[in-house]
Amino acid sequence: MNPSRPADRPVEAVELFIPPLPEYLQLVRAVVGATVGVGREDELPLDPGGIADLRLVVSEAVTNAIEAQWSIGANDRILVRCRPDQKQTVVEVVDRGPGFDPDLVPDLPPVEDEERLDHESGLGLSLMKRLADGTVVETGPGGTIIRLVVEYP
Amino acid sequence: MQFEVFRSSLAPNFPDGAVLRVLGDLDMAGAPRLRNAVVSEVGAGTRLVVLDLTGVDHLDSTGLGAVVGALRRLRTHDGELRVVCPEPRVRRVFEVCDLDRVLELHVDVDTALEGMTVQ
Repeated sequence: MNPSRPADRPVEAVELFIPPLPEYLQLVRAVVGATVGVGREDELPLDPGGIADLRLVVSEAVTNAIEAQWSIGANDRILVRCRPDQKQTVVEVVDRGPGFDPDLVPDLPPVEDEERLDHESGLGLSLMKRLADGTVVETGPGGTIIRLVVEYP
Repeated sequence: MQFEVFRSSLAPNFPDGAVLRVLGDLDMAGAPRLRNAVVSEVGAGTRLVVLDLTGVDHLDSTGLGAVVGALRRLRTHDGELRVVCPEPRVRRVFEVCDLDRVLELHVDVDTALEGMTVQ
């Protein structure tokens, strides 16, 4: 029997459970990028720029998850679930942090404002909202799920 | 990929200048090392830092935070930060966050130093 690539079978969900450590961010980006970026270039659902954006928003979500768990000393593994289908890729990042209200994330001062330089963080959620086609945050005292939707052109 | 920050002096033209060349992914894992490198430079008297991001494969908001922190630290000490960032994919992250409006992005180190007075 000759093993061969199942050409027409859709890629199923890929799940990663990672320790809450920044050293794993690169692995997450590589795996998520591979779920939509493997195959002939002209057949990929996203161009290289689209794949870079997908990797970036997932990196932001996992960074948030790591910081959330660090804030309460939670060592639970973080779940990253990537589900590509015919029209879009959905990535969910699930943490066991304390939860947060996305509506209460303060706006940063305008970029020309000198005070803006006092803020070295706080851009992650904004980047996700700008680059993903959908960003849904489900949060509570038991943790947070960030669901990112990236549609194919 | 390994993360490294390589330093080279800009002396004799700029005695208090240095290039910090970043190699790898500038994210939550790499950003603290860039922050430390900038703190060391400013502590040692460096007042002109050219931050060369040519070798950066991935930049995210935590990495941007380290760049913003470098800018603030140098300005606080009457210093200057110039950023080299030729890769469109990495430039785009600055642009999406509007930070290209406060930080001029240059294509190489020579261009970044244009207009500077040789000391």
